[in-house]
Amino acid sequence: MCKYSERLIAWMDGELAENEAAKVEQHVRACAACGECLSSYEAASREFAAYYSAATQARPTPRIDKFPRWVPIAASVAAVALMLAIAFVPRSPKRSPMVQQEAAISSPVSTSPVRKTAAPTWQPIAEDHRPPYRQQKGITVGPARRPTKLENAKADWVMAEPAIQIAIPADAMFPPGAVPAGVTYIASVSLAADGTVLGLRLQP
Amino acid sequence: MNGDSFSLKLPLSRFATDSCEATTLYQELRKPLLRYLAGLGLSSDEGQDVVQEAFLILHKHLARGGSEQNIRSWLFRVVHNLARNHQQSYSQRMGQPLDAAFEKASSEATPEQTALEREKFRRMDKAVRALAVQERECLMLRAEGLRYREIGEVLGIPTSTVADLVDRAIKKLAEKCNV
Repeated sequence: MCKYSERLIAWMDGELAENEAAKVEQHVRACAACGECLSSYEAASREFAAYYSAATQARPTPRIDKFPRWVPIAASVAAVALMLAIAFVPRSPKRSPMVQQEAAISSPVSTSPVRKTAAPTWQPIAEDHRPPYRQQKGITVGPARRPTKLENAKADWVMAEPAIQIAIPADAMFPPGAVPAGVTYIASVSLAADGTVLGLRLQP
Repeated sequence: MNGDSFSLKLPLSRFATDSCEATTLYQELRKPLLRYLAGLGLSSDEGQDVVQEAFLILHKHLARGGSEQNIRSWLFRVVHNLARNHQQSYSQRMGQPLDAAFEKASSEATPEQTALEREKFRRMDKAVRALAVQERECLMLRAEGLRYREIGEVLGIPTSTVADLVDRAIKKLAEKCNV
C-alpha cells in the first residue's frame, strides 16, 4: 500500500496544504497504482453526485401523517353513527318513565335481579324505515351487548337505555384501499329519551 | 471539491432592512438546503418547514449580533439539527424504490444504456445505504460544495475526522460499485 493512498481523496478535494498537495501531485504522476486509484475515486465521486441529485430531486414525497391513521376513520365513523342514531331513534314522550327506570337499572351500583332478566327494550324501529342504500352497503342495526359491571364502573356516563349498536363496513364509507378489507367499526351509541346522545363508544 | 468557502458579510442593518439582500441569500441557499434535507430523508413539506425555520433563526441570530461569517455552513448546521426533530431512520424514509428517480434521470437513453445505468444506479443505492450515517452525511454535504472544515462545523466534528470519513466513504463506494 502506497503511503500517499490515504491522502489521495483529500488531495482530489483540494483539502491539502499547498506543499503537501505538491508532493502528492508529483507522486501521482509517477505512481501508476495511485493514478488508477485516483481515477476510481473520481468516478465514485461523480456517480455519487449523480445519484444524490436524482435521489433527492425525484424521490416521491412520503405521506406525512400528522395524526394517526385511525383518527380520521374513527371521526368519520362517529359522525355517521351519530347521524344514523339521531335519525332513527324514537322521541316519544311516553317512553320517559321507562327510560328513567332503565337508567336506574343500568346504574353501576345496582344489583337488582330485574337487570339480569329484563327483556331488552330495543325495538327494530329502524328496520321498517331502512333506506335502500344501507341495505346495499350491508349496514345492520341490532341490539347491543349489555355492558358488564366493570364496563359500567369504568364509564363516566350512565346509559339511559340499552345502547344501539350499528355495524358499518369500512368499505361503505371509504374509497377502495383506504382501509384493509373486512374492517368494520362498531359504534355503540347511548341515547337519552329526547334523542340526545349520552355516550359513544367505537370498537373495531 | 467544487466551490470555495462561502462567507457572507451581511451587516445587521443591511440584512434587517434590505429585503433584496435577504431574498438573494434565501434564493441562493434554499435549494441546496432542501436537497440536503431530502438526502436526510425529510419529505418536501418537512424540508420547506425546516428551511423557513432556519432562516427565521438566522434573522434572530444576526439581530442578536451573532457572527456573520460562514453563513452557509451555519445554515447547514441549523437545518441539520432541526431535521433531527423530523427525521426517522434513513432506511425507513429512503426505503422506497428509486426506480422513479432513475427513470427520470435516464428518460432519453437507449434501452441498453438504460439497463446498464439502472444496474449502476442500484449498485450505488445499495452502497450508499451501507455507509455509516456520518459517512453519508459527509458525502452529501461534500456534494453540496462544502469544504471539510465547513462539514465539520455542520456535523460538530473535527476537520480531520471529516477527512477520514470522506476517505473511507469514497473508497467503499469505489469498491462496491467497481468503478
